[in-house]
Amino acid sequence: MGISVIQAVLLGLFACLASLPGMGGTTVGNYTLGRPLVGGLVVGLIMGDIQTGIIVGASIQLVYIALVTPGGTVSADVRAVTYIGIPLAIRAQGLDAWRASRAAGLAASLGAAVGTLGTVLFYGTATMNLVWQGIGWKAMDGGKWSTIKKTIPMVDFVLPWISHIAFSFIPCVVICMAGESMVSLMKDYLPMDGIAMKTLFTVGSLLPAVGVGILCKQVIQKPLDWVTFGLGFTLAAVMGCNLIASALIAVFFALINYKIEQLKTNRLAPAADAAASFDDDEEDI
Amino acid sequence: MAELKKVSKKARNSAFRNWIYGNLTCFSQEHMQTFGYLAAMLPVVDELYDNDDDKVKALSTYRTFFNTEPQIGTMVVGLTVGLEEARANGEPLDDDTINGIRAGLMGPLAGLGDSIIVGTFIPILLGIALGLSTGGNVLGPLFYVVVWNLAMYFGMKFAFKQGYELGGSAVEALVGPQSAALRSSIVMVGTMVIGSVAATWINITTALEVPFSADSSLVLQDTLDSIFPKLLNFFFVWFCWWLMTKRKMSPTLVMGLLVIVALVGVLVGFFNPGLSY
Repeated sequence: MGISVIQAVLLGLFACLASLPGMGGTTVGNYTLGRPLVGGLVVGLIMGDIQTGIIVGASIQLVYIALVTPGGTVSADVRAVTYIGIPLAIRAQGLDAWRASRAAGLAASLGAAVGTLGTVLFYGTATMNLVWQGIGWKAMDGGKWSTIKKTIPMVDFVLPWISHIAFSFIPCVVICMAGESMVSLMKDYLPMDGIAMKTLFTVGSLLPAVGVGILCKQVIQKPLDWVTFGLGFTLAAVMGCNLIASALIAVFFALINYKIEQLKTNRLAPAADAAASFDDDEEDI
Repeated sequence: MAELKKVSKKARNSAFRNWIYGNLTCFSQEHMQTFGYLAAMLPVVDELYDNDDDKVKALSTYRTFFNTEPQIGTMVVGLTVGLEEARANGEPLDDDTINGIRAGLMGPLAGLGDSIIVGTFIPILLGIALGLSTGGNVLGPLFYVVVWNLAMYFGMKFAFKQGYELGGSAVEALVGPQSAALRSSIVMVGTMVIGSVAATWINITTALEVPFSADSSLVLQDTLDSIFPKLLNFFFVWFCWWLMTKRKMSPTLVMGLLVIVALVGVLVGFFNPGLSY
C-alpha cells in the first residue's frame, strides 16, 4: 500500500511539531510527540494501523530510550526516525500484523540512516532561525516598545514555522511519498562503509561534546574547576556511578563547600543576618 | 508613598505559558533559548513599567544568552519575574546582578535537569509504557502521554511559583554576601554532574590499530583506556570548551570544525563507526 498525499501531509505536520526546537514546544512536542512510542501511535492512526504502529514504535523506542541532547546538541534526530522511519517500515511490510516484528527491525535499521539525515535537517532549521532572530534583534535595537511587543512573539512563535516547512515538512512529505525507492537509492549511493556515511556517524558521536562544552562554558570559570569536573567524570567513567549517584555525591561536597564558604563570610560580616538564608539551599538544588 | 507594584496573576500566567511553550521554538545554536526568555518576560515588563523607555530598558536585560534544561529552567524564569518586580519597586538590582544569577543557575540546572528529568524520569516512564504496550496495546503510549504531561505541567508550575516567591521575598539572600556561598555550591554540583554527563552520554572511540609485526598490533583504544577510561570524551569536551572560550568561536563554527575533524579522522582510519544497513 502507498502513502497518500493527505497521510504524507499529516506526517509532515507532526514532524514539525515533534522536532527538538519543535513547534509543539519542548514538553508536548519533543518529549511527547517526538518519542518513537508515542509517534508509533500517531503514525499508526494516520496510516490506519495502530497496532503495527505501536509495535514498531516500541522497538525503536528501545534503541533510543535514554537519548539525551546535552546543551541542545542533536546527534540522532529521533523525530525523523519516528515520522519517516516508522511509516516507511509499515509501508514496506504491509498491514500484516504478524510481520510487525520484522517491520520493527527494518524501522530500527532504517532509523539509523534517517536519523542521520534528520540531524542535517535539524541544523538547517536552527540556522534558518538565525534570520528570524535577526529581525528580533533589529526590533530590540530600534527601542520602540510597540514594535518590540509585536515582533518578539512573532519571532518566537510564528516565523520558525517557515524554517520547519523548509527543513521538516517538505523533506518528510517527499521521502514518505517517494518511499522505498528513496531508501534503496540512499543505500546505493551512500553505503555505510563509504566515507560520507562514516563521517556523518562520526560527527554524530562527536556532537554531544559541543553540548557538554557549552555547559562547561557556563560553569567553569577558573582552571581548578576542571578538577571538580574531573571528579564527576571519574565517578561515572571509572567508578561506574550513574547520574543520580553522581548528583548525590556532588550535593554532599557542595554542602561541605557551603559550610566552609559560610564560615568565611560570617567571619567577615559577623552576627546579624548570619542565619537568614541558611535554609534556602535545599530547594535551589 | 506609592503603592508597591505587583505582577498580576494574569501576567505571570502568560509569562509561564510563553516560556513552557516557546522556550525552544526559535532555537539557534547562537542564541538557544534567549528568544523564549524574551517572550516570557515581555508581558511582565509590559505590566510593571509605565513608560516605554523603561520597558525597553528592562527587557534588554534578558538579551543575554540563555540556555538550560528548559523544563527545570522554568524556575529561573519565575525567579527573574520576582526580581523584575523587586526592581520595579526600586530595589537596587542592576542588569549584571540579574544576569549573574541567571548565568550562575543555568549551567547547574542544565546538568541536573538533563540527568534527572531527561536521563532518568523519561526512561523510567518509557520503560513502564513499553511494558504496557506489548502486542501493540494503546495503553502504553497513552500512559506516557498522560503521566508525562501532567507531571511536567504541575512540576513546571511549581518550579515557576517557587522561583517567583524566592525572587520577590529573598532578593537579599541572592545578592547579599551569603549568596556567594550558595551560588558557588550550586555551581559546584552542576560542574560535577556535567562531568558525569560527559562520561555517560558521549561515546567517542577510536578504531586505530598500529601493527607491530605480522601477528601483533597495538589497539589504540585499549591503550587509551588503560591510561584513563573514556579519555577521548574528556579531550573532546575540553577541546570544544577551549575553542568556545579561549578562541571565542561560536558553537556553529565549532560544529563545522568537528565535521572536518571527523572527515580527516575517517580518512586516516582513526574513526570508524563500523555500521551497516
